Amino acid sequence: MLFQISEKMLRVLKAWTEPRIATKDVVKEPAHKSPIFRGRHVVRYDICTGCDACNKICPVDAIKMKPLPLKRPNKIPEVNLAICIFCGLCEDVCPTKPEKAIKLAGGDIEMITDGTHNALDNFWVRVEVPEEWIEQKKREEEEKARKRAEMMAKKKAEAEAKKKAEAAKATENKEAPENKGEEK
Amino acid sequence: MEKIKEVLNKFDMEYVEDYKPTWVKAKLKNKDDITKVVEALKEIGVRSCSTVSPTDYPEENRMEINYFLEDIENKKNVWLKVDIERDLEKCEIDSITPILESADYHELESYSTFGVKFKGHPNLRYFLISADYYGKFPFRKDFDWDEHEKNVIENVNKISEEFFEEYEENEETMGHEGSRTVLHWGPTHPASGPIRLKVYTNGENIEKVEPDIGYVWRALEKLAERKDFIGTIVAVERICFMDNTNPMICYAQAVEEIAGKEITPFAKYMRVILGELGRTVSHLISLGGFFGTMGLQTFLMWCLDVREYFLDVLEDYSGARIATACIEPGGVRYPLNDYKAWFAEIDKAIEKWESVKPDIEDIFLKNPLMTVRAKDIGIFTKDDVIDNYLQGPIARASNVKTDVRLDEPYAAYGELKMDYVTCENGDTRDRLYIIYKEINQSIDLMKQAMKKIEEGIEAGEMDPKKDHLVKMPRRMPEGEAVSRVEWARGEMLMHLVTMPKSTNPYRLKLKAPSVNHTRMLEKLLPNHTLSDIPLLYGSMHICQGDLDR
Repeated sequence: MLFQISEKMLRVLKAWTEPRIATKDVVKEPAHKSPIFRGRHVVRYDICTGCDACNKICPVDAIKMKPLPLKRPNKIPEVNLAICIFCGLCEDVCPTKPEKAIKLAGGDIEMITDGTHNALDNFWVRVEVPEEWIEQKKREEEEKARKRAEMMAKKKAEAEAKKKAEAAKATENKEAPENKGEEK
Repeated sequence: MEKIKEVLNKFDMEYVEDYKPTWVKAKLKNKDDITKVVEALKEIGVRSCSTVSPTDYPEENRMEINYFLEDIENKKNVWLKVDIERDLEKCEIDSITPILESADYHELESYSTFGVKFKGHPNLRYFLISADYYGKFPFRKDFDWDEHEKNVIENVNKISEEFFEEYEENEETMGHEGSRTVLHWGPTHPASGPIRLKVYTNGENIEKVEPDIGYVWRALEKLAERKDFIGTIVAVERICFMDNTNPMICYAQAVEEIAGKEITPFAKYMRVILGELGRTVSHLISLGGFFGTMGLQTFLMWCLDVREYFLDVLEDYSGARIATACIEPGGVRYPLNDYKAWFAEIDKAIEKWESVKPDIEDIFLKNPLMTVRAKDIGIFTKDDVIDNYLQGPIARASNVKTDVRLDEPYAAYGELKMDYVTCENGDTRDRLYIIYKEINQSIDLMKQAMKKIEEGIEAGEMDPKKDHLVKMPRRMPEGEAVSRVEWARGEMLMHLVTMPKSTNPYRLKLKAPSVNHTRMLEKLLPNHTLSDIPLLYGSMHICQGDLDR
């Protein structure tokens, strides 16, 4: 009797050391993990060109373009995950190389919400663009614009100078024969 | 072929021409001749109507009706067109249902969605849409969806009230002769899916059955018109989640035909593998579901376990398990970067299936209880199959040799070794056995295709990283195409119409097998008892996704 009880206890104690299957969290660790699993989107604001191609191809209109106070990108995509069907066409059509600006992240399946209205309304892939980056980009753009303006001004000035020189030459040439004629 | 042409040329035709090797395309000038033409065709063996597909041309004020007729035994198809007027009062044509009964539901569908009145149809009624559907005829080009939606929101209470009234108990006592009751089987029955069968019973015996469909109607055909040519794949793949890849193959073939592009051999073999994977995944549910309808869920669980392995394969290739969207016009969507690893995954799934096969055979396929219930009931003869145009496994269970993969080889099926899989008796048990046989055939085809791809890569003829897609034009030329594939549960036909320089389909007709199979319930169920409904219904392998679309 005592032996049986102790045997049982031993067995139970042994089971404690066994690897536990049931403790595996399937949300974080799926049984099968594909490297190209089409899951939650990752939007890279720093390489996006704002070309609107993903928005145009989306078959269910889940993508909304968020405007930015910049010239390029002037808008970036945000995805409504409650509508999205995860077909991955937006990733296919994205023109940036070598890395895509919008991408369906592999293996990320943490997309379970509690299913309430409130949660579904906020079930979006939001892109938070830091202010500093915008400021920096703005400055860069301004610099570029200034440089371009300078270049344009330079070119214009050069062109004008050329024109003037040509005009002057022309007048000289015009004048010259006259003078020659007078001399003759 | 010549015979059909001869018969067609007797009538007043605009043109009669060859289409594909097994098709004749013809256009009739006068719509009053349609019944005579169909009668003449029936005499020479064209006994089944595949589908009826109207196309709406509001600018030319005409409605073009396409009849797809088939001679199943001799593998010949007829595509018959006829123009009728578009105005609702004059939009009518003689019904061909009295001649070819398989046209019945397809004509009802055309009536409910396009408003084409079929004169002489035995029971012309609103079918997919309800009788109080606002605006009527949703697939017409001038249908106002916003107005319709507004009306539905305003009157939702009234509509649902009428719906509940229809469900009220309806019993009639007949003294010593028993009682007559109308029972509603579904749409919440565990075996039914979203369909309601109105069952008229006398005691326990079934007298009459009326299927009521349209519970999951999404107007997919109209939805496809709003998307571009690539985006449409996500619409057509949602026709049924069980076999997801084959509808995309069908659609892609139609687009390629219009664009005049040929896909690479690698893509063709990939389509075979993906198509057979889809078929296996679907058949595993059908196989388990058959026992599920008898109340035994164990086998369903076994099948779902094996199915997971096949879904893993699909996930490794496309990134999604069920809605894969992995085939697009021009080939297959993704390159195969590590083909050896992917093939190893397929081998693993096949191994899993092989390991449970002996148990399945011993425990379930030879199950005495199943045999008692399923043997020798619900028999379909060859004539039943041809007249009602039953397809796929249901037809092959009745020993009818029909299979689009062999009759009109697409993808790379022409280069693989395969034969018709058939059963002898055509009873309910054979419709289970055929599914089991077809899974084995699918696996054999997968192995052959994998071997061909491996040989091709070793010989340097195929490049799995580059060959997967041929560039398609962004804008399609004007054209019309019909494409067929062997879907898991029967033949799937798509009729695609495009306008010049278009970016989206002008009309896409999806024809799926469950329509005819549901119609067959009207003949199958009477004279059986109530307890046979789930079993007989389950043996038809009906899916409401492709029934309603």
